[in-house]
Amino acid sequence: MNKAAVHVSAVVLTALLSTAVMANSAIHRDYEVMHAPAMLAKKAPQAVLTEITRTDTRTIAVGDYGLIIFRDAAQSAWQQAEVPTSIFFTGIDFADADHGWAVGHHGVIVATIDGGKTWQLQLDGFQYVEQQKAHFSQLVAALEEQLENFDGSEDEEEELLFALDDASFQLENAELALTEGPTKPFLDVHAVSNDDVYVVGAYGSMLRSQDGGKHWDILDERIENPDGYHLNTVISDDHYLYVAGEAGQVFRSADAGESWELLDSPYNGSFFASYVDKQQQLWLVGLRGNIFVSTDQGDSFERIRLEDNVNINAVVDAPQGGVYLVGNAGVIGWVDANRNVMQMTHPSAAALSGVMTDADGRLLAVGQRGVIEIDDFQRAVHEQE
Amino acid sequence: MSKPSIATQSVFLERLLFNVRPLWLLIFTLITIFLGWQASQVRPEASFTKMIPTEHEFIQNYFKYQNDLASLGNVVRIAVETTDNDIFTAEFQQTLQQITDEVFFIPGVNRSGLKSIWTPNVRWSEVTEEGFVGGPVIPDNWDASAASLEQLRTNVLRSGEVGNLVANNFKSALIVVPLNEVNPDTGEALDYQQFSQQLEERIRDKYQSDTVKIHITGFAKVIGDLIEGAYQVGIFFVVAITITLIMLFWYSRCWRSSFAVLACSFIAVIWQLGIIKLIGSGINPYSMLVPFLVFAIGVSHGVQIINAIGNNSVAGHSKIDAARIAFRSLYIAGLTALVSDAIGFTTLMVINIEVIQELAIAASIGVAVVVLTNLGLLPIIMSYAGVSKRGIRHTEKQQTKKHQLLGFFANFTKPKWAYTAIALAIVGLGWGLVYGQQMKIGDLDAGAPELRPDSRYNLDNQFIVDNYSSSTDIFVVMAETAPSQCIAYDNLELLDRFSWHMENTPGVQDVKSVVYVAKMGAFGLNEGNLKWFSLNRNQYVLNANTSRTPPGLVNADCSMAPVIIYLNDHKAETLETVVAAVEEFNQQYQQDGLELLMAAGNSGIEAATNSVIESAQNKMMIWVYSVVIGLCLLTFRSVRTVTCIILPLMLTTVMSQGLMGVLGIGTKVATLPVIALGVGIGVDYGIYIYAKLKEGLAAGMNLDESYQYALSHTGKAVGFTGLTLAIGVATWIFSPIKFQADMGILLTFMFLWNMLGAMILIPSLARMFANLSRKRHA
Repeated sequence: MNKAAVHVSAVVLTALLSTAVMANSAIHRDYEVMHAPAMLAKKAPQAVLTEITRTDTRTIAVGDYGLIIFRDAAQSAWQQAEVPTSIFFTGIDFADADHGWAVGHHGVIVATIDGGKTWQLQLDGFQYVEQQKAHFSQLVAALEEQLENFDGSEDEEEELLFALDDASFQLENAELALTEGPTKPFLDVHAVSNDDVYVVGAYGSMLRSQDGGKHWDILDERIENPDGYHLNTVISDDHYLYVAGEAGQVFRSADAGESWELLDSPYNGSFFASYVDKQQQLWLVGLRGNIFVSTDQGDSFERIRLEDNVNINAVVDAPQGGVYLVGNAGVIGWVDANRNVMQMTHPSAAALSGVMTDADGRLLAVGQRGVIEIDDFQRAVHEQE
Repeated sequence: MSKPSIATQSVFLERLLFNVRPLWLLIFTLITIFLGWQASQVRPEASFTKMIPTEHEFIQNYFKYQNDLASLGNVVRIAVETTDNDIFTAEFQQTLQQITDEVFFIPGVNRSGLKSIWTPNVRWSEVTEEGFVGGPVIPDNWDASAASLEQLRTNVLRSGEVGNLVANNFKSALIVVPLNEVNPDTGEALDYQQFSQQLEERIRDKYQSDTVKIHITGFAKVIGDLIEGAYQVGIFFVVAITITLIMLFWYSRCWRSSFAVLACSFIAVIWQLGIIKLIGSGINPYSMLVPFLVFAIGVSHGVQIINAIGNNSVAGHSKIDAARIAFRSLYIAGLTALVSDAIGFTTLMVINIEVIQELAIAASIGVAVVVLTNLGLLPIIMSYAGVSKRGIRHTEKQQTKKHQLLGFFANFTKPKWAYTAIALAIVGLGWGLVYGQQMKIGDLDAGAPELRPDSRYNLDNQFIVDNYSSSTDIFVVMAETAPSQCIAYDNLELLDRFSWHMENTPGVQDVKSVVYVAKMGAFGLNEGNLKWFSLNRNQYVLNANTSRTPPGLVNADCSMAPVIIYLNDHKAETLETVVAAVEEFNQQYQQDGLELLMAAGNSGIEAATNSVIESAQNKMMIWVYSVVIGLCLLTFRSVRTVTCIILPLMLTTVMSQGLMGVLGIGTKVATLPVIALGVGIGVDYGIYIYAKLKEGLAAGMNLDESYQYALSHTGKAVGFTGLTLAIGVATWIFSPIKFQADMGILLTFMFLWNMLGAMILIPSLARMFANLSRKRHA
């Protein structure tokens, strides 16, 4: 390179640097976490992370401070995605290698179409609250009209009255939230296809999009949940959608969420995660070490226990067959195809809330202390004994 | 005979002193008794606030919330370690219980805050279908059986105290002891030294055994160890006096003169301490240096006096006349030198840290006192005592004998020697400049930098850092809000961002604040579901989530929440990075009703101290050198002369910075004054030598003869002075207090090097200038 070129590139570099500094030194008043872009952070892989997923090409995890991190080849370092919000993410799911959604607190939904490198805001909590208000006032009006012109049985009338009560209560909440701001976190997202995406959350919130997130429909009242229990998890197999949550509630829908049936629950405590494995078995896991597996789409369940009674928070297929499970206090377990159980405790004792395996069969768990990697689970169990 | 003329030639001061000698003796005796009584009440103290720059913005902010932060900071940690496999044995638990009980009764302990696995406030909890269940970590039906111990192990694991109250390797357990700064019953301030002693006697001495090891850390223990270390300095003083006495005798061969000089110098120390007590100032581990300096300065001026008296006695004068002539010939030179010392010391007043200012005041008072005792009292005493026959004989012999060492120094007026010396000096200068670059601001060692890295305290500290999940380098940012707004959603949300910003700052290990409590609370209250580890806009939810906030993380009226930033170390660069990161955040995010104020915590205060030191460093250098150059110009009225005197001083300053770089001694509260002291005292040598050199030149001698004349008159005394000063401070190198040792090393180096610089470089430079001007004329 000759001297002039060096000089020119130095000038360009200086200019670039100074714009970077300028962008950096913008003054923010009235900080709003929903709209503050996620900070680029070197400690991102060590932050609180809640879920981890995998596409054909990437492993991607989400968590606190608007963090979405990903890596391509198993050994490469984690990179941080460009995310337009700093909220606490609770769930992530991809429909294919490019299309994915992440949800979290403050009613935020973001989406990617480039495999997770950059993300766009699809819904924020203020819009969500407005939409809730519109939705429930419409619902109240509809129910009131129905009641006025009602001529059915007393039981049916009572049902309508209950529904009206619920809708009015929700409307009040939405109106309150207009001043207070969105307080209901979303807790899970499930992408069935590039168009069909389901989101569940606290106090019985449920959303569906049928156009890849351009519009979101509120489905709260489609599920019979008069106590407003949290809906913690949503999953699907070839036939059904499943939603499970607080107080052992399990629902199943055969019509893309239009209507839901309440299943006979094997447990009265909270379920935190659901999973459909390679054998199309439905797994439900939750509070105090409760693990259930169903081979008949949730009609009946078999109970499995690990050694410890800690919360179990996530399930994933193990490459050698069976499933891995992770839970609080660093518990990592493996249930093989014959329902034999093996368990270890990660020395960090961190609560683990997401689990995935990578292309090399390595186990990746995320939780309180960020990403934890276990090269060989069986050896790790062995070493602990 | 010339006898009558001696009295008639006398000046006013001399008449004032010698005409009423008994009266003066009486006055000196009375004052000494009174000030001695005062001095006997001086106790070493280590006041925290005096060691910090109280005017600095950080410290002002800290003072504003000092009381709110007290429960956060002033904690002693006692680690009880077992040499067995783990702590789950009946014997160990019994010991731990006994120690916890014993600590409970030590005065100064905040009993309700005391924590160990044996205190009822340490509980385990678990989420069940019905909600929270929990209980004390020690099982209710504890009977030290195997079953109880197993239950205890389970409870400890569930309690989340591993890394906090129980070591990560289960081989030790902590007792966390918060202290009351003020006794709530008596209103008396906590006596750190007494408290520290009680810990030693009632805990360490009593319970340490072959199988149980005790490790104690905390600010109170540092202060206790500092004061204990300070008492040892008393021993150094005795050592310094003994060595000085031996040197005095070796020099004078006269016990009477030796003891007179020693006594007068000692009286100077008594007076200095007494006056300090009278004006309400104290003596701290820094100003403890002053008595050593005063003593050494006293001795060096005393030596001049007895030297002169000895010479006069050889010349046949009577005791009283010898003393009178000595006084007459020396009082102006002595006064000038002492005044320049005093002015040199007062330049330290520009540094706004009380211990340094106290040191400056104490040193100035000390020097003023030396004028009275060693220029006033000493000649009077000697006029009665006189120099012994043996001493006179020795002086006579010395006068006739050619001194070997002085002969060596006399060589430096020869061009070859002079240029070699200057070349070597330039090499030394280069060395100093290169290694001076490595000199750092602040303290560089881990743990409590006041104490030595291998002190028991720092080993204990290392043990706790290694085995528990906590750093001891803490930087606290105070989040200030309107009253009862400290946990308002908007404020917490921005604090959360701030925490993440700081966590990603290089050198930061961890950040904890009420925000973390709120998020953990949400996690816990939502059945231990990590997906709730976040802040909620609903204030009632936030209030519930923060209901278990430990004391200290929000203040009483909820107008301040400290953000505690744990650092890897307290190196100056780390602190600067952290301060810059906070400033950057404050610049970017401005929210009405929320101020992020720096700084508290040991590292926060150190950051403030470092910034004051850094800006004072150059200011002080400029002052000291301006004063010294000004004084020299006033005395000699020649730029060339001043250059000859100042250049060697500058060489010493630069080289001592190189030494600091090489030895890893940082510029800090303790070492900053050393440069001023070194320059202030160092200039004396130059003044004495050049004065005589000039005298010789004026009398028509050439440079070689003039320098020999100077050496024979003052050179010997200058050498002696350099040695006595160096010995006075060299004993400090063995102090258990790290910064005293650092001061000792640097002052010893400066005193010796300044002395050599004066005796070698002044003639060399004089030769160089002489040759240069000769060439120009030719």
